[in-house]
Amino acid sequence: MNTGDSKQRKLLWGSVAVVALVVIATLIDKGSIGLQLILSGLTVGSIYALVAMGFSIIYSSTRVINFAQGGFSMLGGMLMYSLAVSGKLPMWLAFILAVLIVTALGAGFERVVIRPMKDHSVITVIIVTIGLSIFMTAVAKWIWGTDPVKIASFSGDKPLRLFGASLVPQSLWVFGLTLVAVALVFLFFNRTLLGKGMRAAADNPDAASLVGVSSSTSSLVAWTLAAGLGAAAGVVIAPINFAQYSAGTALGLKGFSAAVLGGLGSAPGAVVGGLVLGVLETITAGYLPSGYKDAVAFVILILVLLVRPQGLLGRPEEVKV
Amino acid sequence: MSEPRILEIKDVTKRFGGLAALKDVSFSVGKGEIKAMIGPNGAGKTTMFDVLTGILKPTAGEVFLAGESVIGKRPDQITKMGMIRTFQTIRLFEGMTALENVMVGCHSRTGAGFIACACRLPSGRREEAMIREEAMAVLKDVGLHTRANEIGTNLPYGQQRLLELARALASKPGIILLDEPAAGLNQYETGELSSLLSGFRDRGLTILVVEHDMGLVMEISDEIVVLDYGELIARGTPDEVRNDPKVIEAYLGIEA
Amino acid sequence: MVVGAFILLIPLWAKFIPGDVLHMDIVNLMVLTGVYACAVVGLNLLVGYAGQISLGHAAFFGIGAYTTAILCTHMHWFPTWLGVIAGAVLAGAVGWLVGKPVLRLKGNYLAMATLGLGEIAFILFQQVKGLTGGTVGILDIPPLSIFGLKFDTDLKFFFLIWVVILVLLLVSINLIKSRVGRGLRALHSSEVAADAMGVATGRYKAQVFVLSAAFAGLGGAMFAHFQKYINPESFTLALSILFITMVVVGGMGNIWGGLVGVVILTFLPSVIQALPQWIPGLPHGLSNFSNYELVLYGALLILFMMFMPKGVAFGLSRAADYTEVRARHFRDRQKARKMEGR
Repeated sequence: MNTGDSKQRKLLWGSVAVVALVVIATLIDKGSIGLQLILSGLTVGSIYALVAMGFSIIYSSTRVINFAQGGFSMLGGMLMYSLAVSGKLPMWLAFILAVLIVTALGAGFERVVIRPMKDHSVITVIIVTIGLSIFMTAVAKWIWGTDPVKIASFSGDKPLRLFGASLVPQSLWVFGLTLVAVALVFLFFNRTLLGKGMRAAADNPDAASLVGVSSSTSSLVAWTLAAGLGAAAGVVIAPINFAQYSAGTALGLKGFSAAVLGGLGSAPGAVVGGLVLGVLETITAGYLPSGYKDAVAFVILILVLLVRPQGLLGRPEEVKV
Repeated sequence: MSEPRILEIKDVTKRFGGLAALKDVSFSVGKGEIKAMIGPNGAGKTTMFDVLTGILKPTAGEVFLAGESVIGKRPDQITKMGMIRTFQTIRLFEGMTALENVMVGCHSRTGAGFIACACRLPSGRREEAMIREEAMAVLKDVGLHTRANEIGTNLPYGQQRLLELARALASKPGIILLDEPAAGLNQYETGELSSLLSGFRDRGLTILVVEHDMGLVMEISDEIVVLDYGELIARGTPDEVRNDPKVIEAYLGIEA
Repeated sequence: MVVGAFILLIPLWAKFIPGDVLHMDIVNLMVLTGVYACAVVGLNLLVGYAGQISLGHAAFFGIGAYTTAILCTHMHWFPTWLGVIAGAVLAGAVGWLVGKPVLRLKGNYLAMATLGLGEIAFILFQQVKGLTGGTVGILDIPPLSIFGLKFDTDLKFFFLIWVVILVLLLVSINLIKSRVGRGLRALHSSEVAADAMGVATGRYKAQVFVLSAAFAGLGGAMFAHFQKYINPESFTLALSILFITMVVVGGMGNIWGGLVGVVILTFLPSVIQALPQWIPGLPHGLSNFSNYELVLYGALLILFMMFMPKGVAFGLSRAADYTEVRARHFRDRQKARKMEGR
């Protein structure tokens, strides 16, 4: 038996155990406040999960790391504000429109900017996505200015009580949306021809193109999905966090760490990574000065990269000699 | 009294998960010998090279280069010890001229480090001049000196293979491992390669070669070892191996 | 080499642009360019020649800055020039510490790891309030003085920094043209083959990483003494990305590329801001580099990468080659026509 494998397995179960222990310890130590921390962590973690799924989907189809992923969420939130508050459209309509617009933008980016660059080096494409991110932030600043904007919660603000912890109703919307999104993504990749084709293309692009799923299609669909997921995430968290032109970067970085934790290229991994990151982050904020909580994402990122680069659920990338 | 063996391979085994790419393979190569390692595709030949040069660690077994163990050492360390290889797919350095490629081959024999080079110390400059001279000499040996200043990867395929060979030779190795040096060469080029290799052997170079071109193998080898499914199934002179029923079966899948 | 000399003379004639109202602004910008260039020259060695990547180099810049700032403000007697050296050394040391494990990663993964490290450094700059002054930063950093010579004006600093750059460039060129430089290019092209040829790839990667970190630290320390005030906001991810962009836009793998990139990207915002004055018809009143200028900046970055991915230096050299080929064709045609005329 390969000793490397069993060491990895121990690492995997070890980290699961550590996370579980931390959660339990917090509950014991802080009681219902601990539960509140965890619930709030799950809420923000769901958003990370959605953003992380966007990263993973694009990465598995095109090997590109999309630094503009957070920007999709930011735009989703800002558009929601414009449509629902300024435009006075009904919430549900504003939601759908905001997501659709950003999704179209994502597809547009892919066609106009990303697709022509498919033969360029990794560094170049990374810089292009960074440029996109700067562009989106700048446009947002231009259109909406620098102040954060407030969007009303979907179903009011009266907190619910759960075993002594309070939960904002918007959190339920977050959970609900995440569940729906995950289910849809799962169905897409496992039940539709296109989705299954894209999974195949991720493994073996030549064979996939033989059966009609070209890398061009994969790329386009991946970006569209990622933009949609990001936008949805941005819209649903906006009532809790306030939307702001600069929100994209931080969200993108955290979502990215979550994706790496779960395994870049693995959609279920992204969900797991996002939730774990969210919970660990808020627990950290409960014990250390709040500035340090942002470091959690990056410490996890580096640990994962050094110890198990393929993340919790990813597959090791093989390098042929 | 037996000649000191340059390369000794003892019971080398390499497993990937449940698959054994190499199983208890043992043989040795003597100084000034040309030994060929042949076998059907997937027999484990390149895996053996990877083990010998430190790219892979064997699951079990020992490898000695001139008496010193090689297991656990890094590829660049093993090269400094005197064992160098070429690759199945051409791995010339892009963006560098033929001469520069060969000069990298001299890297293992020289030592000017960061500080010496950053400050252009005279010791570094002298070394550089020597490297350039020696690299040119090697290029002459393989007949490529007229194309020294052309970008290596722009050369025609046959000459790229020669360049890889030259690069390896520049390190003045005790033993050179050639991974399919004749792949993609036409008959004329293969003939040239054959005389080149024999010439080097006569000058004292030891060669372990993996090759599918049986003509070349039969012509230059002193001894042949045959691998199949990771195991050593036969060894001997070209004539012995040619007539060995186990070898025939491995290649043709029929009983002789 | 001629091109090199020309570029080096620019700092001199720039000073003498006649009747330029913005003269001191240009000198000021050139100092900033110089300080950033320290980091970019080192980064170019790492990215352009050795083929690695770092999205966290602002951290080293910051470490250099904070080191000298802390030493010189907490101990008023501490010689500033020593502070600068300490900054470079400490940045290099940190580079050694984090480089060894991280450089085992490749491509995307290395990019991500360095990004994470850069962010952690930024958070530490903010949080370790006792040392770094937290988000407020460190004020009243004494101006640089070397053996009694005080560099307290923009102009003096300008000459100093560009002399320093010259030295750094010299060191870089020496390295590139040597055995070590060849080894780096080899490992960039094929790490496996370079290993096989005896290049200690792991050690070389670490060494060039440390060198680039030290260069960045040097730049950061000089930055601290120039600005006389630093805070964490100067050392964010945006700066790391700016550095990398400068390397790529200028031309990776070309020693002048880094320099070209720094100059272009440092002056770009000001140029964009000044555009409404030169091109009639462009929207006015938005000349605060937070609105459409930033949009333009992002767009330009994207366009640049799409159409000139090898950077300006290569674009220029290709343009030079192109004109040379055309000139040759022209001469040949002239000759042919003369022959026919006979």
